[in-house]
Amino acid sequence: MNLPKLARAALAPSVALGLLVAVVPSPAQQNAGSTPVGNAERGRQLFSDTYNCYACHGFDAQTGERRLVPMNYPLEGFITFVQNSPLPQMPAMPDASAQTLADIWAYLKTIPVDAPPVNDLPLLRDVLTRRNQAAAAK
Amino acid sequence: MAKRSESDATPSVDRRKFLTGAAAGAAGAASALVGNTSEAQQGAPIARPAVARPTEADARKDFVPPEPRVGASFIEHPASDHMVDVLKALDFDFVAVNPGSAFEGLHESIINHGGNRKPEILTVLHEEAGAAIAHGYAKAAGKPMMTLMHGTVGLLHASMGLFHAWCDRVPVFGVVGTPRNPTSVINRPHSAQDMGSLVRDFMKMDDEPTRLDVFAGIAMRAYTIGRTPPMGPTLLVVDSELQEAAIPNGMSLPIPKLTQPAIPQGETGAVREAAKWLASAERPLIRPGKLARTPAGWDLLLELAELLQSPVDVGTYGSWQDFPSWHALYGSGGPDYKPDVILGLELNDMVPSLRQTRATSGKTISICAEYLSQGHNIHDYGNYTDIDLAIAADAEATLPSLIEEIRRQSPRDAARTRAARRAKVAEAHKAIREREMDDARYGWNSSPVSVPRMIAELGRQIQNDDWAIVSGHQFTGQWQRRLLNHDKHYRYNGDSGGFGIGYDTPASVGGALAHKAHGRLAVAIVGDGDFNFVGAGALWTAAHHKIPLLVIVHNNRAYHAEVMLVQRTAARRGRGNDKVDIGNVIRDPAPDYAKIAQGYGVYAEGPISDPNALAPALERALARVRAGEPALLDVVSQPR
Repeated sequence: MNLPKLARAALAPSVALGLLVAVVPSPAQQNAGSTPVGNAERGRQLFSDTYNCYACHGFDAQTGERRLVPMNYPLEGFITFVQNSPLPQMPAMPDASAQTLADIWAYLKTIPVDAPPVNDLPLLRDVLTRRNQAAAAK
Repeated sequence: MAKRSESDATPSVDRRKFLTGAAAGAAGAASALVGNTSEAQQGAPIARPAVARPTEADARKDFVPPEPRVGASFIEHPASDHMVDVLKALDFDFVAVNPGSAFEGLHESIINHGGNRKPEILTVLHEEAGAAIAHGYAKAAGKPMMTLMHGTVGLLHASMGLFHAWCDRVPVFGVVGTPRNPTSVINRPHSAQDMGSLVRDFMKMDDEPTRLDVFAGIAMRAYTIGRTPPMGPTLLVVDSELQEAAIPNGMSLPIPKLTQPAIPQGETGAVREAAKWLASAERPLIRPGKLARTPAGWDLLLELAELLQSPVDVGTYGSWQDFPSWHALYGSGGPDYKPDVILGLELNDMVPSLRQTRATSGKTISICAEYLSQGHNIHDYGNYTDIDLAIAADAEATLPSLIEEIRRQSPRDAARTRAARRAKVAEAHKAIREREMDDARYGWNSSPVSVPRMIAELGRQIQNDDWAIVSGHQFTGQWQRRLLNHDKHYRYNGDSGGFGIGYDTPASVGGALAHKAHGRLAVAIVGDGDFNFVGAGALWTAAHHKIPLLVIVHNNRAYHAEVMLVQRTAARRGRGNDKVDIGNVIRDPAPDYAKIAQGYGVYAEGPISDPNALAPALERALARVRAGEPALLDVVSQPR
């Protein structure tokens, strides 16, 4: 194919990605100005089946890395982070729409926190006591 | 150790009487075969045909002498007997064997000439399991084990296990039989022009003695080279005809004394310079890799850390346990600790350390045996780094002189400044500890079971035992070190080294075999992915040889690390994440690991999804292990 130099350069993967990001409005930009209302039931399906978030965050979103319950991010911050994650262990998902992420966020908000205080868990309390004793030993 | 199974030990019976009796007993026997496995595990008696034992007179009457084999000759002194004498001189306790015609001479000599003692045969169901068992055994026992393999096919099966031993710098003594002059359509594929080349990229040496009088010297050389740091597996190729030939009359076959070379220590001037930097450092940090070859290495690192009051960062994948995990100095010193001198001990990749010290104009020291010898193909030796002081030597052997030099060069007020450093580091580590315990409580009652809950339940039940974790930590994050006090050098046997799955279960059997001699309680936490390689067959070896070991299958029903990787790629390409489980999950149907283990004669329970059911199941399984047998629990777990 006989392409102008500029077009060929644009098709190089790294350059092409940059141009697309610059030219095509992201789902977040498409939804700018309106804060979607999430559907928790739909969010549960998206979390577990569509996006397979459980693989890193645990089936209940609270045993993995990073823990998502309690969900302390505000909705807007959550959407921005997931679409643009700079972390190597968390893929950025620019194609996830604000509505999709609002649904997941709403689902995360419904998950009850299962974290009794350490003092109410004899197993952990005992480990912490013994760890502190071991660390204090000379 | 049991030499024969119960069924093997059943006395011989008159064949004709047995056949008559067998018909009557067939119904009972058949019902036993198809019976409920849980009933079988509860100790229901096995139905046996009613057969009278033959008398001596019956036996004589029925005995028909075999026809003499045409051309067969009687060999009074087979060469393989001498080979076994050499193996005895190398002090092997065990040899892993999956039988093969290429080493039938050696096999027969081990059991008859050698009396199946030192080495004793450990029957394995796959050569990869045999190599992994030898790998795990060597780390726990502190001495190599032998694995005996069939020509080409056996060696290729074993290759993955040998590769892990190479990457983990662990000596495994491999012997492969080869039909040098194959005579049939069956054994031609088992012969090779250069057998060692099949695995040479990850063996420290391989050699093929072509004459019996050089066998002993080559075997001794393979053994000593394998044990000289950087350690690794070695291979002897032994022609089957050479094994089976008669020792010529009058041939003298002396067995040389085993002389293990002294381990190389660091050059005096370089050690003195390293000591100078460390003695005057304000914020030293020690990073051990595969340091503690022996218990002495553990003690020396503890001595060095306490002398300097330096934090010790074993890293995420510290392959061997080198430092007590509940010690005040265990860790990186906390987020505000900016090291000005980092000491790497057998750490073959110093890049992160170099980056860290460059940011603070600090110095980096490395003492590592890998400067002395590296492989030529596998890229497992880390990147070249322009660190400030590199010492080509074994770190464990160098530590005594380094410690002595640091004492000699320490300023007068060192004790006071170092005590202050320890207090700061201990305070930072205490905050980290509390945060870790806080993290552990999330999902405490979740079903499937959370990883911290699984390990904490285990910890409570073994805290009064002399326990040893014989599997790797790779798939349970840092939870084992956080929740189990690794306070002895043998508490943790390390990861595979090569980061391939399939190591943990068989290597755990090897580790447990070594710990059995010391009466230690061996426990393995293995991934379901790992178990599915050669793990089930390795469990049979544990059952057959009465090796006590608790295997907990951390069953998250997927290769979850790979789910995340495919997610990342799919997201980069904007193709959605709804299909990333394809090729990554192990369900529909979900394997029943308890039933698989029961089928191999091992006590097992599961699948266990309810966290409250875990403690009683652990109690029952541990009772079996403490009584001397293997057991398995299939625990359905959270992905992370």
